[in-house]
Amino acid sequence: MAAQTALSMRDVVFRYMEQGKRNILDHVDLEIPAGSVTVVMGAGGCGKSTLAAVAAGLYPENGGFLAGGKIAWFSTGLDRMNPQQRARQVGMLFQNPDLQFCMDTLRKEMRFCMENLCLDPGEMEPRIRAAAEELGVQELLDQPLHTLSGGEKQRAALACLYVMESRCLLLDECFANLDRDAALQLMEMLRQMHRQGRTILAIDHQPDLWLDTADEFILLGEGGRVAARGLHKGNLPQYRPLFQELGLFYPEPPRPYRPAAEEKDPILCFEELSVAKGEVRRSLFRRRTEPAPLLLEGAEARFPKGSMTAVLGPSGCGKTTAFLAVLRRHAYTGRITLDGADLSGIRPRDLYRQVGIVFQNPANQFITQNVAEEVMASLRVWNPAWPEDACRAEAERRLEEYGLSRYRRYSPYMLSQGQQRRLAVLSVLCGGQKLLLLDEPTYGQDARSVQAIMAQLRDKVDNQGLSVIFITHDRALAAAWADKIYWLRDRKLEPARAGEVTL
Amino acid sequence: MTPFLEKWNPTVKAATVLVCVILLSVQYLVSLNLTVFALCLVLLLAGSRCGLRRLAALLLPAGVAALGLFFMGLYYARGGSVDPAALDTVSALPYAVRAAMSRNLYTAPQLATRLLAYAGLGMMFALSTDTEIFIASLLHQCRLSPKFAYGILAAFHLMPGMVREFNQVRLAFAVRGLHVHPLSLQPIFTMLVNSVRWSECVAMAMESKGFCGDAPRSYCLVPRIHWYDLAAAVAAVGGIVLGMVFLRY
Repeated sequence: MAAQTALSMRDVVFRYMEQGKRNILDHVDLEIPAGSVTVVMGAGGCGKSTLAAVAAGLYPENGGFLAGGKIAWFSTGLDRMNPQQRARQVGMLFQNPDLQFCMDTLRKEMRFCMENLCLDPGEMEPRIRAAAEELGVQELLDQPLHTLSGGEKQRAALACLYVMESRCLLLDECFANLDRDAALQLMEMLRQMHRQGRTILAIDHQPDLWLDTADEFILLGEGGRVAARGLHKGNLPQYRPLFQELGLFYPEPPRPYRPAAEEKDPILCFEELSVAKGEVRRSLFRRRTEPAPLLLEGAEARFPKGSMTAVLGPSGCGKTTAFLAVLRRHAYTGRITLDGADLSGIRPRDLYRQVGIVFQNPANQFITQNVAEEVMASLRVWNPAWPEDACRAEAERRLEEYGLSRYRRYSPYMLSQGQQRRLAVLSVLCGGQKLLLLDEPTYGQDARSVQAIMAQLRDKVDNQGLSVIFITHDRALAAAWADKIYWLRDRKLEPARAGEVTL
Repeated sequence: MTPFLEKWNPTVKAATVLVCVILLSVQYLVSLNLTVFALCLVLLLAGSRCGLRRLAALLLPAGVAALGLFFMGLYYARGGSVDPAALDTVSALPYAVRAAMSRNLYTAPQLATRLLAYAGLGMMFALSTDTEIFIASLLHQCRLSPKFAYGILAAFHLMPGMVREFNQVRLAFAVRGLHVHPLSLQPIFTMLVNSVRWSECVAMAMESKGFCGDAPRSYCLVPRIHWYDLAAAVAAVGGIVLGMVFLRY
């Protein structure tokens, strides 16, 4: 007897505008066998997330236009199921851990899920208890969800799918923003659910976490069409050229970290730096400081000038907060010096002329609704004396340099994640800043975009003397690009030794 | 044990507060206003888990507003602020004293205490009601659509994330050399773009968990109306009506 099919998509055509010419999914055929673990990979913009949303029935209900094709889950047509029936067949885990809960604690969220499926209220508590015990999430049940880390939120979301007993788990880049330990924990939960007979269909742009678990890798090409399937750990090397052609991460041992031969003068120094997690909360009647754990305690570090330095550490260990201290947006004790000058003596505006930051979500830092205007606005801020023509010409030149000139009339929000990050870097460096802080540069991007942005920064570092500090949980990225790496562990910053940074 | 004010069915409580507010708006009794205000505070302290500090933090703006209304009523109410007769007889007195001697001296506390009574009723509801139970109660007692009810809950639970994001947007703007003050529109615009995107994501996540506005669903929490909910409502409204009949000032 042939194995049952979990998902079947036949000749699916989907586009965002009914009248539009570009099909995001262009005659896609896909079949996923029940009980398997399948990983679908594709470059950014190839439509893999759209494929997941269409397969789950979220599109076209929430946007877009399905121009043709048939989709079925476990032999039942998607068009014959309402969300309640769909949820019994397929549960989805999304990329952004913050945006998948309706309630404020996991227990309530699990109840919400089971209420949606019309389960008897009397059954709910025993099911919640059993799921929490099975998956080891008891301690998360009653904590406010917004206080959980990204990894904990993903585990909580997966626990919700567990109590719903969905037959297939559809994962849309669910590891995208998790550090390795959190990702491994989540992976263990997934394996456990697979052992219980659930089908797993994952959309991802990095295969390495899946190597030991996946039965099959599928590569998507243009229009979400299958470029190759039947890949597995054993035959992966023969597809290496295709990985490169499609701009995908090929799983290979990371380049061993080789620190720069000679260390240059520091641009930024931490001396006895301590940073606490808590913020000073002002109540109406008295000022009180929450007893807060220290993220950094007496940390010492020297970030060399004209180099790229990486700060590695798990999520939530205080990397971003340390950056905020450098921008004087978070209280600290000890001493931070920027190019020899004590940070506490520099006025914020003068500080921001020297230090720029690009956040995880670059869309948060756009100040206009037009790409060219975005660069010009920055140029005007930092060079108030420049005439309009000079600003325009300089903006054009910089857009050209970053490969963004053909998008000059677009809204920044319409660009892809990779382009948005390039635009953010470009706008942030308009004042001639000499130090750039980069928070998780790989967030939501494929190999090609990451390569493009890092190569561009490397060029600026080598030829224009820019100094870059990037914080990341991606060890391979740090090993590949950094001249110096710091570990943030046990509240200290320790320089990594040569060859130490491996997976 | 749940304190009695928190046990009161939220829909009945809200309706009672609404009726009380309407009743208070058609009377001018300072004594009744003050009694309602005081009773609300006493009930809150005795019958809910709301702390004194939280109460005081809310009372402060209400007190300032009441004081403002008092002076406004004192000086400017009823067209002519000062009786012309008073001008002839005691013209040597300062304006404030003359104003105080006029009939406005009664109008002003009427306005100010009414505001306090409203504040008291509002706080009594807000500080003793759990949002989720209130929404659940609206779902069951007022037949609110689940789509709307859970939409509100999801938005409410997004707030901490939005505050965090808003602070980051403001920081990002400051680092780009823009002066950001609390009322700057640009960070708000960015947040608006974010919230549209966020609400879409949350709606899709809810749908993928089987939520759909019109299909039948079961409920863990079904607030009901008991005899004591209605008795409390009758007592509150009846008390105010009696006050309106028997109190003189």
